[in-house]
This record gives sequence, structure tokens and C-alpha cells, in this order.
Amino acid sequence: MKRILINLFLMVVAFIIQNCIFPLLPFLSASPNLLLIFTFSLGFIHGKEAGMLYGFFAGLLTDLFGGGPFGFYSLLYVYIGYVNGSFTQYYYEDYITLPLILSIGNELAYNLYIYVFRFLIRKRLDVLYYLKNIIVPEIIFTVVTTLLLYRLFLFISRKLEEMEQRRDSNFV
Amino acid sequence: METKRSKYILAGLTLLCVLLIGISSLQDGFMDPLRAGVGYLLVPIQSGVNAVGSGIYEDLTDMAALREAQIENEELKTRVSELTEENNRLQAEQQELQRLRELYELDQDYMQYETIGARVIAKDSGDWFQIFRINKGSQDGVQVDSNVIAGGGLVGIVTDVGANYATVRSIIDDLSRVSAMGIRTGDKCIVAGDLTLYNEGRLRITNITTDGDIQDGDQIITSNISSKFLPGILVGYAADITIDPERLTKSGYLIPAAEFDDLQEVLVIVGTKDTGDSELGALEGSGS
Repeated sequence: MKRILINLFLMVVAFIIQNCIFPLLPFLSASPNLLLIFTFSLGFIHGKEAGMLYGFFAGLLTDLFGGGPFGFYSLLYVYIGYVNGSFTQYYYEDYITLPLILSIGNELAYNLYIYVFRFLIRKRLDVLYYLKNIIVPEIIFTVVTTLLLYRLFLFISRKLEEMEQRRDSNFV
Repeated sequence: METKRSKYILAGLTLLCVLLIGISSLQDGFMDPLRAGVGYLLVPIQSGVNAVGSGIYEDLTDMAALREAQIENEELKTRVSELTEENNRLQAEQQELQRLRELYELDQDYMQYETIGARVIAKDSGDWFQIFRINKGSQDGVQVDSNVIAGGGLVGIVTDVGANYATVRSIIDDLSRVSAMGIRTGDKCIVAGDLTLYNEGRLRITNITTDGDIQDGDQIITSNISSKFLPGILVGYAADITIDPERLTKSGYLIPAAEFDDLQEVLVIVGTKDTGDSELGALEGSGS
């Protein structure tokens, strides 16, 4: 329980950094999607149900920011949490290749979802332009950030587990 | 067992989200109470983080800027004296103009709006949407559809408002449509945001009638028939106007008057346009 609350708190922090700090940095031509990294990492480490929970929370935060119908992002993030959670059987602590591949897949799915449901349905057909100018830069930034953040998540979740174990053994 | 349960959860959450999407796209403002409630909690944090972040960034750039500023200061001092002189002359002319206007009883409708200043505290992440949040809300008199200006030009329109925050969709957003006109002839047109033109810093002008006289370099202002935008706000300057292939309309590009790259402070016009007829300007609006 405590672990879930700490993770949810970290997600709010990530959301605020993403919306308030990144836009201030003029040298960032694209910005990494921290909430997406959070959802997929936690799903991958802790499994489907955790992935859906954190995904739903991340989606709610994004939906609450405004713009578009409510629930649009929640739906997407729930599925991202679920799909990445189902890879948890291949989860192995020091294995970074699969998380990176997942990260690329997630970014691609996330951006295509926005493109199809918010742009393509309004007859914006120039897929290549959007791919080159928006999707690819964001994928690159997010993958680089994943390299750094994924290790941090592993560290945090290991610490939290240790804390819980220590507390349990105190009771015994 | 675990997988079965998680499938049920997935189905449940999917249903919930689809329902929410359905209800909120049919009925605007359905989730506003929740948005406003979370706004109460998040906006003070966002404002704080933004202030600290920009503070640190300014400190870093301050040192570098100091030397430049000293040189610039010298130049500006001479410029000030030049301008003071010019200003005196212009004031005299302004008074003369005032007198003549009163003689002709000309209305001064345009650009006499009451504004309040607001700070941009958050931006939509990702490059798909040009939406940002400001730290003034219904407490300060901001309403949905309030017009937002900066640097002498139109910036956007308020789409969503809470007690202490408001969400603004800028005119460069792909969904944005502004009913506008050329200042010289009053010919109507539509100024539309387009993500594919975003990097060039341009917007699209469409729906000019073939005999409409809008030329390159003309000032484009918000039109008096617009349902959401107050009339007479400068939007930008027309460029590359050409006749469309089907020869019924003309279209071209617009270079906006406001700078969107580095938007920090904006002015919100208090009060919205009251047309009493929502049918007017059906072409513009959210498109959602």
C-alpha cells in the first residue's frame, strides 16, 4: 500500500516536471513523456494489474489537464499498462534491452493513437510529416530518458521492497 | 486466476473510459467539477514549481546577460532621449487627432478592452497540441471563451476554467479557427492553425472570396462577425495569398503578431463577446 502511494506521488511529481519545467528549457526541441515511462516501467516490473492502476492514474492526470474528451488518455494508458504488464514474465533486473524495445513500441503506439483519433479523423493525411517532426523526436528523447529512469525505478522499487520486508520481519 | 481477474479489470476500465469519452464528448463540461477540484490542489504546486524553475533559469542567464545589458544600456540611453523628443511631438499630434475624432464623432470601439495579466504555468506535453494553462481563473473574472493576447497580438482563447486556473488553446493549435478580416478593406477570412506549418511559424488563411482584396503584408484583425473573438484584435500579417485551384476562394498564410516560442506572460480580456446568436460564425470555434 505504502509502495503504491509513493509511486502515485512520484507520478504527480513527474507530471508537474513534464508540464512546468520542460517547456521552460528552450534547447529541448521535443520532450520525453515521463508518465509513459512511469506506466510502462511499473507495469513491466510489477505486472498487469499494477500497470493498469498506474496507467489509469497517469491517464486521469493527462485528461484533467484539459483538451479533448475526458477519458481519451485514460483508455490508452490503461492498455499500455496492461500490455507492458504482460511482459513481466520476462522481467529480469539487469536486462535493459527489452525495456528499451518496449519503450519504443509504447511511444509509437501512443503517438499513433493521438494521430489517428485527433488528426486523421479530421483528414490530416500527411503521416510522414507528423512522423518526422513530432513522433520520431519524441521517441528518441523518451528512449534516452528511459535509459536513465528505468534504473532509478529499479533502485526505488528494490529499496521499497527491502523496507517492507524489514517491517514484516520486525512484526515476526 | 490472476490473469482472469486482470482481464475483468481491463474490461471494466475500458468500459469506464469509453463511457467517459462518450459522455464528455456529448456534453461539454461534464467533468468540470472534478477538473476544478484537482485544479485547487495542483495549480498552486504548478505555479510554485514554475516560479522556482524560471527563477533558477533566469539566475543562470542573468550573468551572461549582464555584460550585454551594460553595452545595451549605453545605446538605450541615447535612444531614450531621441524617443522622448519624438514622443513629445507625437503627443501633440495625438491631441490634435483626439480633437478631430471628437469632431467626427468616431467610435473608438477597437482595442478598448479591459485586460488582466496572467502567467503561463504549464504547457501540454508533447508537440501535438498547443494548449497551456495560466494562473488566473474564474476568481479573477476569466470565463470560458475569454480572448487571450500577448505582445500586441491574439494568442488564443480560454477553453476551460477553474477557480484559480484557466486552460488556453492558442491560435496555432491545429483545431483553432478564427474568423478574421483584412484591416484595409474589411474582407472576411478564416485564420486556421496547422501543425504542419507550426515549425515555419505560420498559420493558414482560407475562405477569402475571389474578389476579396487581401494582399501580402496586410494586417489581419479579428472580425466583427466572429462569435467568440472580440473585434479588432490584431492577429498577424497576410503572406503569399494565392487563388485556390477551384477559383472560388483565395487562401494563403499568416505570420502571427504574437510570439509563441517563449510565452511567459499573457493578457486575458475580461468579458466575452455577447452575440446572442450562436449560429453566427459557425465556421470557427473548437472543431471538437
